Amino acid sequence: MIALKKISFGGKLLVLFLFLNGISAKCVAQDVDYKAYTLFVYNFMKYVEWPEAQSKGDFVVCIFGESPVQKELTGLASSKKLKGRNIIIKSISKPEDATGCQLLYVSSSKSGNIKALKEQMAGKPILIVGEREGLAKKGAELSFVTLEDDGLKFDINKKEIEQHQLKISSQLIALGILVN
Amino acid sequence: MEKSYKLLLFIFLICGYVSYAQEPVNPISATDSTKKDTLNYYDMTIEQLLSLKAHGVPSELEKLINSLISVASKKPLNVRESPSIVTLVTAEEIKNSGARDLIDVLRLVPGVDFGVDVQGVVGIGMRGNWAHEGKVLVLLDGQEMNEILYATTQFGNHFPIDQIKRIEVIRGPGSAIYGGYAEYGVINIITKQGGDINGVAISGIYGQTEKDYMRRNINLSAGKKLGDFEWSVSGMIGQGQRSTQTYTDIHGNSYNMDGYSALNPAFANIGASYKGLSFRAIGDFYRTTTQDGYDAIYPKAYAQNFNSTYFELKYLWKVGKKLTITPKLNYKNQSPWKTPQGDSIDPSYLKTASRSTANITASYNPTRNINVVFGSEYYKDVAIDHLANDTFYNGKQRVSFYNYAFFAQGLLKTRFVNIIIGARYDKHNVYGDAFVPRVGLTKKYNRFHFKALYSNSFRAPAIENIDYSGANGIHPEKTQVEEIEFGYQITHNSIFTVNLFDITTKNPIIYYTVGAGTDAYTNQGSTGTMGLEAEYKIKAKWGYITVNYSYYTAAGKTKSAAYRVSQDSSMLLGFASQKVNLNASINITDNISINPSGSFYGPRWGYNSVDTSGYAQLQKFKPVYLFNLFLKYNTPVNGLSIGIGVYDLFNQQFMFIQPYAQPGSLTNLPHAPLPGPPREFIFRLSYNLNFKAKPAN
Repeated sequence: MIALKKISFGGKLLVLFLFLNGISAKCVAQDVDYKAYTLFVYNFMKYVEWPEAQSKGDFVVCIFGESPVQKELTGLASSKKLKGRNIIIKSISKPEDATGCQLLYVSSSKSGNIKALKEQMAGKPILIVGEREGLAKKGAELSFVTLEDDGLKFDINKKEIEQHQLKISSQLIALGILVN
Repeated sequence: MEKSYKLLLFIFLICGYVSYAQEPVNPISATDSTKKDTLNYYDMTIEQLLSLKAHGVPSELEKLINSLISVASKKPLNVRESPSIVTLVTAEEIKNSGARDLIDVLRLVPGVDFGVDVQGVVGIGMRGNWAHEGKVLVLLDGQEMNEILYATTQFGNHFPIDQIKRIEVIRGPGSAIYGGYAEYGVINIITKQGGDINGVAISGIYGQTEKDYMRRNINLSAGKKLGDFEWSVSGMIGQGQRSTQTYTDIHGNSYNMDGYSALNPAFANIGASYKGLSFRAIGDFYRTTTQDGYDAIYPKAYAQNFNSTYFELKYLWKVGKKLTITPKLNYKNQSPWKTPQGDSIDPSYLKTASRSTANITASYNPTRNINVVFGSEYYKDVAIDHLANDTFYNGKQRVSFYNYAFFAQGLLKTRFVNIIIGARYDKHNVYGDAFVPRVGLTKKYNRFHFKALYSNSFRAPAIENIDYSGANGIHPEKTQVEEIEFGYQITHNSIFTVNLFDITTKNPIIYYTVGAGTDAYTNQGSTGTMGLEAEYKIKAKWGYITVNYSYYTAAGKTKSAAYRVSQDSSMLLGFASQKVNLNASINITDNISINPSGSFYGPRWGYNSVDTSGYAQLQKFKPVYLFNLFLKYNTPVNGLSIGIGVYDLFNQQFMFIQPYAQPGSLTNLPHAPLPGPPREFIFRLSYNLNFKAKPAN
């Protein structure tokens, strides 16, 4: 106690702060939970219907641009199947490499390419999922949204989905936000 | 000794990292979970996706800091992005702390403090500034609690805190939304509605000092939500005292407050809503006794009552998905400071005042990221003086005024920053107009958030300010405030925020007396403060700890003698420039929690005596360390909880100091510091019947 008396007021506050920080440092603060994004993507696969020709063989998910979601999707692919089909995760660096993908995940870093992607993929049976908010209005069929209370949701561009010969289930529509 | 200090720091740091390393992994949120966990996670049903958060399963703290509030913007925004410096107080925190009244609750908010006005009334201060008369707006379920004759709100065993669901405190200006009583802050109290009560709740508190009882209050609430219909009825009645200590006035005369400083509340609140239509009625009958008067004590105690009734009818009309229009009608009738006419020396005051308000507000969301709020408001005030041979400034026993206002606000949310721009224009038929714009930038980037705010605000002169304004008239006092806040979420369970503020008020409305003691108000000089507030909060399953620090300096802003401390230009009358608060709750078992709280005040200045010439003398008051401890037990009887505790454990006997004066006056001498409660032992009991199937707090 004698030692504490010699410490300045600011010093005492610093000690208190470090003590509280010490007892609270149980886990790192909230960063984006890409596992939740992956769970959504998995449900997109389950509740969107592709044309007959794309409903056989492996289900290929392409990730355009770098995103932490790749690690989670790879984990998913190693432990889960989609209606008996293997899930393959492919990382691509050029839009042209998306040929053969059923789902194209556009990372935040590549969101500037969305208009070009829309044109290149026009009419093809491919589900374009944008990581960044607002992409569903610019050409993606689905894109993620973080709500004010941190809730994770997604925008749905139904018109684009139909143009890509895909069918979205009513259950998935009920969960998302229609942009048109 | 310095070595041991450094060693202590080192141990705390190590503690932090060790506990970080030992944190058990949450199978749902962890990214390194096992294959089995992964399987469970991805087997969630599609409906369960609704509960997912962008930043993982929220901790107790994250639930709090991500909760939505609309007090600062009308549109619901999370606490970290709301365009004001905001403190959110939850029902859980109020109940755990054992708080006796709103003073105990608000005292723990950074920058908030209390001082004495006159006649035993305690009012609020904000960031070193006396804000009692119309500078902090107190809303209870949307009703403006400030009485409209002087615009004051009285604190101390007054409001039913057991019925509060949450309190949103804006620690800065709110005039651009709320008008002329929100110059320095807004306290938005939201009580439990039918769906929250969902049954019947009864609670009571008994407080005892070494001399006598301090309070005995009972609360009763009932409510239910049945489809689109929701109703609630709640009430509180009780008896209390300001203090059981002895008050000594500035002339050295004393009286024993025990039995002569009553604070007896009677409060009723009825609410009903069906779809968008809602109705509310509130009756607030605060019966006090006072013997302390202004500067000199009265020979005996007098009854002094503050009676108010409030009514509101509101309709939330959803015109399509993007537009909501809300018309609202309010009526309130008040008779504050009511002291009946008795003998020749009593402080007779018998005026009633009513305000009828019509408000229409539209909220338009053209996109998810754009919100526009706009509307207008009209109110009419009528005041009547019921004392024979007493009149208002117009020579009549009735005055009436009207005011209209227009307001608009735009909110644009972008990936980089949220921008809010708003303004309000008020025009009063007597004192003129006030235009108060504001601009705010806020944003949360994962763990980090910031706010940069610039606001103008004003204080509308109240009816009695106009009444006693004299030949020069009275004008709204205008304030300019700049604020900046930074916050960083250090762990899932802890967050640190710090904000800086700069408040400048020009031509504040000052009370003074002329001649042999005739009341008067005028705009004079300037005042204001600058400073900082910092808060560290940890909240987890084991409980929570909140520590905050607030600091202000007058920084040479104060040119109004009414608030100045001549011996220390950095301080203002009545309020400590440094204050630290602690509020904690530690769960000992699932049903028992121990809840320490406290406020540690630096030195304060106030007038306490007169010199041989009869002039008031300033005195520096020693630091005060208030420490409280409350033990709460949720009994095995479902819904029944009991608690015992002690407030002001070390019997520091806090004094409410008057934060204004008229130095150099021989007729208007200050009120001496008013004793608050001494050490008080409290017992609490609450019982909830037919509550929802969730654990009691």
